[in-house]
Amino acid sequence: MTDKKQGNAFTNNPLVKAIGVQKVVVVLVLIALLIFFGLKSPSFRQYSTILSIMDYTYYLAFLGIGVTFCLITGGVDLSIGTGMFCYALIGGYLITQKGAPVIVGILVTLLCGLVMGTVNGLIVSKGGHAPFLATLCTMMIVRGMGAIITGGASITWPAASAPNGWTRTLFKLTVGDTKLPLGFLWVLILALFMGTFLNKTRPGRYIIAIGSNKEATRLSGINVAKYQTLAYIISGFCTGLAALAYSSAFQSMVPGGGGGTELNAIGGAIIGGTSMSGGSGTISGTILGVFIMSVLQLGLPLIGLQANYQQIIIGLVLILAVYIDVLKNKKLS
Amino acid sequence: MKKKVLAALLSAAMVATLLAGCGKKEEAPAEAPAETPAETPADEPADAPAADEKMSFEIVSKGLQHQYWQAVKKGVEQKAAELGVEVNFVGPASESDIKDQVAMFDNALNSNPKAIGLAALDTSSVTEQLQTAKDSGIPVIGFDSGVPNAPEGSVLANCSTNNYAAGEMAAEKVYEAIKDRISGNVRIGVVAQDATSESVVNRGLGFIDKIAELAVADGHTATVVGNDKYITDSKCEKTEGANVVIDVRVPSSVTSELSAADATALMNEAGTIAIYGSNEHSANAIITANENLNKCGTGEGQIIAAGFDSGAAQIQAVKDGVLLGAITQAPVAMGEILVQTMYDAVMGNTVSDTDTGCQWYTAENIEDPEIAQNLYE
Repeated sequence: MTDKKQGNAFTNNPLVKAIGVQKVVVVLVLIALLIFFGLKSPSFRQYSTILSIMDYTYYLAFLGIGVTFCLITGGVDLSIGTGMFCYALIGGYLITQKGAPVIVGILVTLLCGLVMGTVNGLIVSKGGHAPFLATLCTMMIVRGMGAIITGGASITWPAASAPNGWTRTLFKLTVGDTKLPLGFLWVLILALFMGTFLNKTRPGRYIIAIGSNKEATRLSGINVAKYQTLAYIISGFCTGLAALAYSSAFQSMVPGGGGGTELNAIGGAIIGGTSMSGGSGTISGTILGVFIMSVLQLGLPLIGLQANYQQIIIGLVLILAVYIDVLKNKKLS
Repeated sequence: MKKKVLAALLSAAMVATLLAGCGKKEEAPAEAPAETPAETPADEPADAPAADEKMSFEIVSKGLQHQYWQAVKKGVEQKAAELGVEVNFVGPASESDIKDQVAMFDNALNSNPKAIGLAALDTSSVTEQLQTAKDSGIPVIGFDSGVPNAPEGSVLANCSTNNYAAGEMAAEKVYEAIKDRISGNVRIGVVAQDATSESVVNRGLGFIDKIAELAVADGHTATVVGNDKYITDSKCEKTEGANVVIDVRVPSSVTSELSAADATALMNEAGTIAIYGSNEHSANAIITANENLNKCGTGEGQIIAAGFDSGAAQIQAVKDGVLLGAITQAPVAMGEILVQTMYDAVMGNTVSDTDTGCQWYTAENIEDPEIAQNLYE
């Protein structure tokens, strides 16, 4: 991405070149944020802050990794926010109301994500719908589905202290008196796997090619519909994982909830350098971007900023991130 | 062809959104505070109940599936059996099915009962029917959130939770636990879901006002900071440099993440000795924050936490001692009081607005049948 353009001393630095300009900027911003919050709030400088930031990161990271694939194809998946709630409601309902074993609940949650991802992919690739519109529709459908299945009741996955509460332990392991953010390991593993898949495998390269130039990709004999669908299936599966992470970190899911979360995840991906117009983006960038979102979400209330100002700041950060993307594209062309 | 598919999809999506409205019954907003009883004489009884024929009542609730409504129904049935009346208890599938509820109210009117109980989803949608009921001399009693802004004289009384008083009760219990710990500057956190819904706001204000009142009575000074709406509406005098600071945080939108961040921030403030969540959502936020901070409890130096309503996570937290306790409404009592009030109205007695009460539950009394019947997961 960065190796073709003319740049200044910073952008020509071999290390910066190897990592990518935007990612270096994001890392610097992230460090600056951590230092700023650390100076402003003594309570930010404690171990529990890491645990809280991680709670906010896991589900956003899973959502972000998934939606990065859709963004790279030049599409988007808006159904991931309400979908995450819907799948967690269905899985949790089976466990808590129907007495299903936890493993069944987990598998059903992931399966729901896979199924809806496939549906999204088929509507977009075979049905020819604009991804924005297609996933806007499925966003509404999944919002309704969760409520219907649970009969309008909210669902709480078993507490960590309950005998079948081990899903929470998967993300936060207690050793002695210390809680370890185990979920970060799963995020890392998934990120490494998906990053390799995207950059080093044929299907991954096809997905990037579709976003760069769909027509050229089709003309070179690649089954565009197949790989476009695959991007949405990946997004759906990652949403299922996010559902598990969310229900482990928070107490309850309300039917019809989750709307707006997709924008935080998409925002994270864009901060990390994924282009809204498709063709470029990295998983590592998304993870960094998601961290910025979660650090802001936790840090702003800690320094005593009132709720509505927090939203304004997050909005401004996004504008800035998109502006970097615009600048980058200008330089490339 | 594509357009047709799209049209079909869009309609499906719209139907889905409609259905999605069946949000969970989180709390029963009481629109009519019980401290201002509207003393309304009951209409003349249409005809005295015949000794051999059972009096028949119709009750139209806001829902049926949720455990909260099942608890109301239980109280209704208990009282009906005691008084020897027949009750038909109905409610729509979800709290957004206004049309269904109107149809149910129509049916109730047509069956010509002795009295009707109503928890209206939307008063304006049943205005005509309320007039009909008044004209045909069928007394209507409101319950839960009641029938706010009903046509004059059409609803004789409301049986609902006084949310302000419920908030005060939480404050009394919390204050009792912290009063010996107030030395120097201390902070009491309030996590509120919003600053717009009547029930949430009154549960918050009742708590804030009572804490301030009790603190001032003990020779402290108190003030409210945080959300502007709560600061303005609270009775507490705003005092610069007060040693008891009541800090109210309201998220910009109702999500678990934002409220948990609020709770985390409050619990991290220096000098925080207590925290209160004014509904299930906010209590859950405190529980989430505590999973990482591990500060809530009754021990030395820990933060006293209190909640409102029930739900699986909150019940578990009360049992585990994370929450000192929580307030629950009394839906069973609400059902009983409703039937009693309807009965009184039919018998020609004067009926008035009644606070159906609330209870403070802790790890000790959570298993009591009196309490347990009002808790739901």
